[in-house]
Amino acid sequence: MKAFLPKHKLPLLLEALRGQMEVIAPVSTDAGPAFVTWQGQPIDLMGKPLSPVTEFLLPHKEALFTYVQEAGRYTFKEEMIPSRLLFGIRPCDLHAIALLDRIFGREPPDQAYFRRRRATALVVQNCTSPGKECFCVGLEAGPEAKDPCDLQLTDIGDGFLCQAETPVGILILNAGRVLLQPALPEHFQEKTKLLQEARRAMPRDRSCSQIRQAMQRADWEALGRECLSCGGCSFVCPVCHCFNILDLGVPDGQRLRCRDSCILSGFSRLTGGANPRRTPGQRLRHWYQEKFEDIPQITGLTGCVGCGRCHLTCPAAINRVDLSVVSRLMGDGSEARR
Amino acid sequence: MEKVITTCIYCGCGCGLLLHVDGGRIVGASPSITHPMSRGSLCIKGWMAGDFVGHPDRLKSPLIRQGDRLIKATWDEALALTAESLRGIQKEFGPQALGVLTSAKGTNEENYLLMKMARAALGTNNVDHVARLCHAPTVAGLGFALGSGAMTGSIFSLQSSDAILIVGSNTTEQHPLVASHILRARSKGAKLIVVDPRKTRLAELADLWLSPRQGTDVAWINCLLNIIVQRDLADWQFIKERTEGFIETLQAASAYTAEKAEEISGVPAADLVKAASIFGLASRGAIVYAMGVTQHVRGTDIVQALANLALVTGNVGREGTGIYPLRGHQNVQGACDMGALPNVLSGYQVVSSPQVRAKFVEAWRAQLPCEPGLTALEMLWAAESGSLKGLIIVGENPVISYPHTSRVQKALKGLEFLMVSDIFPTETTALADVVLPAACFAEKDGTFTSTERRVQRVRKAVDPPGEARAEWEWICDLTRRLGAKAEYSSPGDVMDEIASLTPSYGGISYERLGPDGLQWPCPTKDHPGTSILHVSRFPHGLARLRPVLYIDPPETPDEDYPFMLTTGRSLYHFHTGTMTRRTSLLDREVPTPFVEINPEDARLMGIRDGTKVRVETRRGSVSVEARLAEGVCKGDLFLPFHFSEAPANALTAQYLDPVSKIAELKVSAARLKKEAP
Repeated sequence: MKAFLPKHKLPLLLEALRGQMEVIAPVSTDAGPAFVTWQGQPIDLMGKPLSPVTEFLLPHKEALFTYVQEAGRYTFKEEMIPSRLLFGIRPCDLHAIALLDRIFGREPPDQAYFRRRRATALVVQNCTSPGKECFCVGLEAGPEAKDPCDLQLTDIGDGFLCQAETPVGILILNAGRVLLQPALPEHFQEKTKLLQEARRAMPRDRSCSQIRQAMQRADWEALGRECLSCGGCSFVCPVCHCFNILDLGVPDGQRLRCRDSCILSGFSRLTGGANPRRTPGQRLRHWYQEKFEDIPQITGLTGCVGCGRCHLTCPAAINRVDLSVVSRLMGDGSEARR
Repeated sequence: MEKVITTCIYCGCGCGLLLHVDGGRIVGASPSITHPMSRGSLCIKGWMAGDFVGHPDRLKSPLIRQGDRLIKATWDEALALTAESLRGIQKEFGPQALGVLTSAKGTNEENYLLMKMARAALGTNNVDHVARLCHAPTVAGLGFALGSGAMTGSIFSLQSSDAILIVGSNTTEQHPLVASHILRARSKGAKLIVVDPRKTRLAELADLWLSPRQGTDVAWINCLLNIIVQRDLADWQFIKERTEGFIETLQAASAYTAEKAEEISGVPAADLVKAASIFGLASRGAIVYAMGVTQHVRGTDIVQALANLALVTGNVGREGTGIYPLRGHQNVQGACDMGALPNVLSGYQVVSSPQVRAKFVEAWRAQLPCEPGLTALEMLWAAESGSLKGLIIVGENPVISYPHTSRVQKALKGLEFLMVSDIFPTETTALADVVLPAACFAEKDGTFTSTERRVQRVRKAVDPPGEARAEWEWICDLTRRLGAKAEYSSPGDVMDEIASLTPSYGGISYERLGPDGLQWPCPTKDHPGTSILHVSRFPHGLARLRPVLYIDPPETPDEDYPFMLTTGRSLYHFHTGTMTRRTSLLDREVPTPFVEINPEDARLMGIRDGTKVRVETRRGSVSVEARLAEGVCKGDLFLPFHFSEAPANALTAQYLDPVSKIAELKVSAARLKKEAP
């Protein structure tokens, strides 16, 4: 199903959907755009939220189950998973979800992930306004969505060209049937033109193989000396998915799954205290190794989607994309404050 | 899911972050990309800032002591008992027998209300907080020299420096977001000089690393000043037009030749000359410092020496220049600003001034004491000697964080009445007669003031657990029970009163506190705030240069105690660990206490990584694992103070700086013994 949604009608569509499920959308806040539950706030489809939408599938901290002890016996309860519509996600994030599906879908599948994944509908917005940090085009993760989603939108100026790809996508559009107009051939021509411009706006020299070459050249110990071990690059990466499990509370409590980062030394420390990735440089190298060597081997897809968020959040002066320890000049600073 | 914009709870950087709230619980945190300082970055503690909030150990109801045990009570019972006990002591022994330790973790509003309660309801100026153990010498030293005891520039402005002198600050670990701006300045070509006995990460990246003997800072700083003047690198116009006391200061400094300074500090004369020429030649030089400067028995003098250096080189009042004391708690700046100090009311208005008192008497409709009160450690000494009988401690854990643990414990145990408010049970709540459960930063509204004088909002994201309450609520309740007025409908209301009585906060109100906050001084409602202080004049006209002389530290290594012990923090923990040790990822990074020792020393003693050792000083001893660290010089030991199972402060002494009353926390003579495996 294809249709055209005039821009000013977007809140009405979301309003109609809100009654049926929790709508997560990028809203404009004083701290930049952020994915939150939409309750009528102004939508920001231009900026890319720093915290990626994958946190709704793999939360920073999630209770896998609650345990209660009664008369020496334990009972366990799983939490209810809300049905959610992730609205306005970028093709890069969608590609990350496709990767996570493959990673968590390997035998045995990760039930906690798929409980959330199955309860989630995806509405992707093709990227006509890539940021300065973006390089998805080199990694074939954007700017046009190529991975499975329910509904695809393209901002073509005065409205969105909507292309439903699944029955859920059709239901989403049907919720706002009265708001829609027919999609015209001009709309498709405009979409093609805008996405072509978006492709051209991005650097093309950052493909998987080019980054692998940069990895060969990089002086990892020099990079590691600059690394502040904040873990931020892992926490904003839509592909990073490592976690840690702990039980909180005795005798009653919760088994928690919390995000983790291989940038931290404790992540690779062995019980006896030895650490195969002892220096920050070794850990930084591992972070890249995982994305550009290991994940491709396992999933067939590059473990980086070119969203550039690691570059935006890195407090060190490391250029996360070309791996040079160079200044992120003043221009970059103000860019981060968009 | 909601995302609530707030300010980080850990160090003084004041980073902007969002707390992710789902189903009434905090499930994550992420940085604010629009924040004027942190700009989309956080350190690992910031990324984990919300993690401890829902921890099952949280205090959930008021507790009252019955014999050895703390028994659950209602708020009414706990506050009634507190009011009755405090009034009883006040009646029998006078208001000087009471004291209040406020919290650098609390909001500005809470600190203001606590100091108001101490003064207006209890009638005592015995009010202080942990600044006494961190930047009291800065408040005193920079206050005297420049007329304002706070950071002179903005953190972001460090990116425009040509040379940055970093003294006694392990910036990449303790203030990572400040380090981030220093690293960017470096990659744009700025020269870094790091002065630290340990070879910190920043020292590795620096153009020059100086490693003076602990406690000898006055000597090498005077020497730099001396060389700079001799080589005609001083800013004569600045000295002439904007400072006083140059001749005497230079006279004092001229005794410290490079050779003399080398003899005292152990820093090679050639390095001192090199440092002087790097800093002297810079057209924008900045000085960044932290606890390595202040936590000395001559802390105020060292701060003055740094101020002398900045002034003589004309490095104050411009972008990229200035003096950057890095404050350790997210609101220790604010707690000082609010007058949680024994000698000043809010905005550093001195209690001994009749005009100042008259203003507050009229506003508060209460009589106010005029004699400055006791500082934090003096209060504990008074408790030890029996002259202080009742103490309120809010959000502090002095048993672990104050020097000489056994003496602190004895003092607190000797009190007739001790009330402690905190978010978790601590070694200090264990000694209390009444314990109040507090709301944490994510459960209340208010403001924090960061180390760059930026007043920022902190916002309620979730409800407090059980019966825990925001401290401003119970402070108002207790103040009323003590017979003084405290009618506020919200923290915003309190800020309006603060603004009306505090010139530097005069223009600040919640309506004006947007994503950038406001940097004080902000005297009027239309004032944009002040990014750089002292641009054209100092608050008291001219800046004051003051001669300072080197004096030996109170303890130096000897035959019995051959090591020099320094205490400090780790990147992954904060203070006494009440929050970070309950944050699983942070606790995993550094799960156990350790002492860092030079590998050569370790080899001679047959100590390996992980060997159990006992560190002893004349005060006490702790048992920890040894960690071999290349960055620690021979003869030195470094012990972090986060761990209650091996409290570093069991070893430290209570030698005080005569001016600021800070304790000597960085220098203790110690010995090391291998423990039986």
